[in-house]
Amino acid sequence: MGTRKYRGIERKQARWGFVFVLPAMVFFSLFSFYPIINAIYTSFFDKRALSKLPPKFLGLGNYIRLFDPSRAASDLSFLNSLKSTMVFTLGTFIPLLIVSLILAVFISNLSSTKTKKFLQISYYCPAILSSVVAATIWMIIFDPRGLGNQWLNALMNTPGVDRRWLVDPVMEQVSTMVIYFWKYIGYFVILFITGLASIPPTIYEASTIDGATKNQVFWRITLPLLKPTVVLVSVMAMLQCLKTFSTQYMLYSNGAPRAPINVITFNIYVTGIQQQYLGRASAMSVVLFIMMLLLTLLQFKTTKSENVEY
Amino acid sequence: MQIEKRFTLPKIGIYLVLLVMLTFTLMPIIFMISASMMTSRQILKMPYTWIPEGIAWENFAKAIQGNDKTYIFVRNITNSLIVSTAVAISTVLIASLTGYGLAKFRFRGRNTVFMMIMATMMIPFEAIMIPLYMVVMALRIQNSYIGLILPFLVSAFGVFQMKQFLTTFPTEFLDAARVDGMGEFGIYWRIVLPNCKPVIATLAILSFRSQWDNLLWPLLVSQSDKMKTIPQYISSFALERSTDEGAMMAAALLASIPMFILFMSLTKYFIGGSAIYESRKG
Repeated sequence: MGTRKYRGIERKQARWGFVFVLPAMVFFSLFSFYPIINAIYTSFFDKRALSKLPPKFLGLGNYIRLFDPSRAASDLSFLNSLKSTMVFTLGTFIPLLIVSLILAVFISNLSSTKTKKFLQISYYCPAILSSVVAATIWMIIFDPRGLGNQWLNALMNTPGVDRRWLVDPVMEQVSTMVIYFWKYIGYFVILFITGLASIPPTIYEASTIDGATKNQVFWRITLPLLKPTVVLVSVMAMLQCLKTFSTQYMLYSNGAPRAPINVITFNIYVTGIQQQYLGRASAMSVVLFIMMLLLTLLQFKTTKSENVEY
Repeated sequence: MQIEKRFTLPKIGIYLVLLVMLTFTLMPIIFMISASMMTSRQILKMPYTWIPEGIAWENFAKAIQGNDKTYIFVRNITNSLIVSTAVAISTVLIASLTGYGLAKFRFRGRNTVFMMIMATMMIPFEAIMIPLYMVVMALRIQNSYIGLILPFLVSAFGVFQMKQFLTTFPTEFLDAARVDGMGEFGIYWRIVLPNCKPVIATLAILSFRSQWDNLLWPLLVSQSDKMKTIPQYISSFALERSTDEGAMMAAALLASIPMFILFMSLTKYFIGGSAIYESRKG
């Protein structure tokens, strides 16, 4: 009899659990699963926003068009977008990863807790500004008469040279990377500091007793133990970079050339919203989705197999 | 400690690197503040003089009045506050409810539900914005708060965070409350919610900030000036005032004040919040 009553409670409990997760399930079905399925479906059609005709089925036509090598010559092609996204992602996440790791190691080795705290907060400050504000500040710094030229020329002792930050195609890409790097550096420093703090100090003590130098400690102990954090941070940084939009949008709408910074998200926005080619934009979205999916799966795989035990 | 002493020389190098980075991260922010008080001519004078010659109040007046003196800035920043706050509240409520359900109740399909929610983390917003835009058009909710808020009611990451936190929540508390005859929803509202304040603070800040920063979705949804958000305002103001750097910086500064206040008063949740991502690696 006792068990029967218990089962009744369990069933009641189960019902409540289901009630509690229901709102989220409805939400995610409507605003994540349905849209991605819809994007895949729409990507097979020539769908336009303002057209009254039923959309024409194209099969893989949109994708073939996106990856058509003969269109690569055009500045604003999707292949070019892929290229500028790759350039931006690699050019941002590699410096971000290396510099934030170095800074985190340096900060962790400081003895004063106050300095540690101060540096973490100061490095984090740019992250609280919105991307639009960040881009606005840097656009003025990158003015021909702005601080960018002044400081770089002072550093390199080349007075009066204009680096054409927002005009030259390569420099324009560099500018977007600098803005992004500036905004996210503090965030990644903190991630690494947390990762470093989770390594037990006894390991360091043991190795110093064994006579290891600081260099050896870093390369043989810190870095291998930090590997899960490194993988996590790099995938997160890459995913973040693939989604970049505001910086590029701001620079373009203020007169910088579009082709070098025509990243995928920006291309989706222009193609789908401004030009109203919804089918073609959906195909781009699906490509972006697949890229990010592969990256995330890679992260899951590496973090699962390489869990470090201290 | 004795070992430390051998490394005094590289220590200078370490401080130098940290100092250079400090200059790099803070310089643009200080630049924004100082330039917001200067006339354009002073801003672009070479070399840059960091101390303003008096305060150019007209910069702030222009920033608030907007391009056509409609004071649309006030409306736009209010929109941003409304949208960000609404998203923060709904994310906290739905994520905690779901996280609680997943952490403390056994029901058929619980793991499937959890895996499905986690799977949505792999669907970037940028990849589904076109279909979402079509939905908004079909429902005719463009230029409305509902349209701005709807796709962000809850985040998978929030659910994950709440579930992780609540898994360690002592079940005895819940059982004790049940014995006392408290209803399940009452337990959630009066026992679970008040006991996860740190996670709630972090989650609320993250969601608030992500909407405060959001430019892409409002660009799609809000075409009328009245329903624009602050990133859109800054973007169009910067475009139309492109030669008035002082006013641009004043607008940028004003738009950053709410986040600055939030950051100053809740620093530990900001910093701790990014550290919580760390738990994802588990």
